[in-house]
Formats: sequence, structure tokens, C-alpha cells
Amino acid sequence: MFRVLCVPRPESLTGIVGWGVYIPRQRVKADEIASLWGFEKTLPKALWIEEKAVASVDEDTVTMGWYAAKVAIERGNVDPELIGAVFVGTESKPYAVKPSATIIADALGISKKKLSTDMEFACRAGGEGIRLAIALVASGTIKYGLAIGSDTAQASPGDVLELTASSGAAAYLIGPAEESVAQFEGVVTYVTDTPDFWRREGSKYPTHGEIFTGEPAYFHHIMSAVKMLFDELGLAPSDFDYAVFHQPNGKFPLQVGKKLGFPKEKILPGIVTPWIGNTYNGSALIGLAKVLEQAKPGDRILVATFGSGAGSDAFSIVVRDGIGERVGRGPKVEDLLKRKKYVSYAQYAKSRRLYIRNIG
Amino acid sequence: MKYSIPKFWRRKEGYYQIILTKCRECGKVAFFTYVRCPYCGSSNVELVKSCGRGVVEEFTISYNRVEEGEEYLPKIIAIVRLNEGVRVVGELVDIDLSEVKEGVEVEAVLRRFSSDDPHGLIYYGLKFAPVIKGA
Ligand SMILES: [Zn+2]
Repeated sequence: MFRVLCVPRPESLTGIVGWGVYIPRQRVKADEIASLWGFEKTLPKALWIEEKAVASVDEDTVTMGWYAAKVAIERGNVDPELIGAVFVGTESKPYAVKPSATIIADALGISKKKLSTDMEFACRAGGEGIRLAIALVASGTIKYGLAIGSDTAQASPGDVLELTASSGAAAYLIGPAEESVAQFEGVVTYVTDTPDFWRREGSKYPTHGEIFTGEPAYFHHIMSAVKMLFDELGLAPSDFDYAVFHQPNGKFPLQVGKKLGFPKEKILPGIVTPWIGNTYNGSALIGLAKVLEQAKPGDRILVATFGSGAGSDAFSIVVRDGIGERVGRGPKVEDLLKRKKYVSYAQYAKSRRLYIRNIG
Repeated sequence: MKYSIPKFWRRKEGYYQIILTKCRECGKVAFFTYVRCPYCGSSNVELVKSCGRGVVEEFTISYNRVEEGEEYLPKIIAIVRLNEGVRVVGELVDIDLSEVKEGVEVEAVLRRFSSDDPHGLIYYGLKFAPVIKGA
């Protein structure tokens, strides 16, 4: 099959105008969770998870997404009235029915004339939100689109997921390439029906399909999406300065990067999960923010999301002039990683409502 | 604690943003919305949004047990002087009781005020948190 080289890819008309991240202040140590539930002492190290971020009792997907989006708009220095779409990728909506996106948009003074919806695809709905915003901006339907990934990830107490499932958010303001500080060069998505992880209506906590979680899900989908992207753009790992992958733990992104041919040095700058846990829809997108905050104009970044069920979006992004100045307009991922307060399992349980109270 | 849904909806803008009245005659700024300047009486006023930044001037700690609101306790209630010069009252979060003091720089953050659990509405509004370094 021949590629048509003279026609620009629509995504190349768009780029990242602003971004923002939110990580809650509280942290609980993975060792404490492992010890409490009788896991082998070596497990946190084997998964490379040291501690995870815990949202306070008054925080949720809406409040964290709001903060990340506020910073994204401030970084972009864009009038909220010009934002024509707000998408919230999450698997922990505060309401089963009632959009989170409209609450965030109203609270930020974003135009009422807009598209606005919550999207669910396990951990990759935020990535799909970015793809939709790109398409809407590239087609001229809207000038700016806001894509948010935000989660207070649930895990059944005592489930191995509890070591990593955490809280956090990232937001990206997508706009015209010429106003952006990071331009999309190519985007592809690879999805299939895979039974690796799900949560039924009314279930409080998700269930995982054990042997399906690794090879047939995470590795197969990310590698398929990234190889498709390489084929379409004619690029190889050596063309990229950074590679950011979804991070269910610290170990998987290093493994998938190695399989694809990336040296560890290109993956480590975007790693965040060992210190904040798996923020689900925030995971790869917080990693990307951390990389943007240290990248130089001309650098090429690979980002591959992953969501169970399952699918992956692979993005090739080229950093443009002006990135450094825009980094300085808001708190950096490094600032949020440093801002922390250790809490006990009891405080974590209270914060995340893991108890039953006699109310209602 | 049950809130009135219509009342919350009508006041939504005031919960989500800090709205100030700026007088075009005397230049003074007042918290919330007025049709006349509370300082000089002029009706030549405009509504502006606060940047949401300020410093803690005074605070108190509330242990007042509100039915079904126990999980939010204790609460730190502070008087914050906004950068625009006006004083507002708000809840202070993400700070230990031992760290609260006059002069702490804070910013407005959207948080849950309350929720009618398990089936009712969740009420969001602004509280104050210490400014995140770099912000
Ligand atoms: Zn006046």
C-alpha cells in the first residue's frame, strides 16, 4: 500500500496549546497496603510501586479535572468562551447519570455553546477525548477543545489492584497548530473486544480477567497501535526523544518500551506511577505533561495510552518553540510530585469511603 | 444535610466563581454583587471575577457536627484577603491544623461541599487551599 505524502494529515493542523495536571496531596505507602493484606513483601518492588496518591474526602473526578483544566486554560491563555468542546474521560464518574463535563465547564466559565460529554473506555477515554478534540479543531468545527482524563480509581480492598489504583487528573487544551507548543504529527487507535478488566453496573469495584491483563491486553494493544503509527509515519524508535506509555505500574511501561525498541533513558522521564500510583485516565497523560515540562523545541514524543476492554491510542508529537515559557505558567508535575502528605491506611479508607456508614 | 436544589442552582455561579463588584467611580472593590457601590453609592459599577488568590488573615477550627457531614470534620474556616483587596470567608483544605497561620498564600479550588447520599445531588463549590509551588 502506498502512502500519500503530499496531503497533510488532519491532526498536523492541531497541537497542544495548554496542559495541566492535578495530583492529590495525600499518599499511602504500597508497603503498608501489601503488609495489611498479606501480600509477599517483594510484590510492591516487583511491580515498581512505592506509594499512591489518595484524593481527600471532598475531592473526586470533577474537582481534580477542574483543577487540571483550569491550569491548561491558564497555560494556553485562552478565553474560556472560545472553548467549543469539553470531554471528560473517566471510569469513576461521581454520578452514574449526569455529566461531569458540564459541571467542570460551568465552574470554569466555558462557553455554553459547546459539545460536552463524559467518555468511558477504562483508562484510555482521556486519550480518545484528545483524538476527538483534534478532529473537531482540524475540521474547523471548533477553535479549541478541552480533553480531560480524571479518575479516583477504585479497587476492592485486598485486591492486588489496590496497591496501584489511585487518584489524579490531566487536561489538554487542543487548538490550531500555529498557536500550539507541541504539534500532533500523527495519531492512530487500535481497539478490540478483550476481557481483561471490567466493572458491571452497580458493582462498587472492578474485576480483572487475570491472564488477560498482560500480553493479550496491555502489550498487544499498545504494540499494535505504536507499530501502526510507525508504519503510517515512516518512523522508528530512534526518531523519538521520549516515549510515554500508560502506566498500570512502574514495570509495564519499561517492558513494553523495550519490546518496541526504546532504551530505558527515553522512557524514564515520563514515568510517574511508582510515586503516585495508576491514575487511570490520568496515567499516560500525566506522563506526557512531565515530558513536555522538560522537552526542547524539535523533540519528538511518542505517547501510547491503554484502556482495558481494550485499546490504545498512539500519538507522535513534535515540540515547538515557546514551550519553556508556557511551562512556567502553571504548577509542574514535579511540583505536584513533591507536594505530599503521608497518611495511614485508615485515613486512606476514610478519604476513599471504603467503610459503610449509616446514612441516607 | 439536605440543601434546596433550586436555591443551589440559582446561586451556582456564586459557588463556582468569586464574583466581585468594582466601582467605576471610586475604584473600590466589594465582595459579591451589588447594583450600587457600597462605598460611594454610585450605580456605575461592573461585575468582575476574582483571580481566586489571596492570603489567610484569620481562621477558626470547627468541630460542629452536622448530621451526615461528619466525614468533612474538623473544618478550618478562614478569612482570606483576596489579591483584589476584599475579604471573604471560606473553608481551608489541604493543610494540617499545625500549618495554618496568618499569611499563608491560598488559591480557590473547586471541592465538594456536601452530598445528599446515597441518591441525592452532590454540591460543589470553592474552598481555599495553599498555592501549589510553581503555580
Ligand atoms: Zn464607589
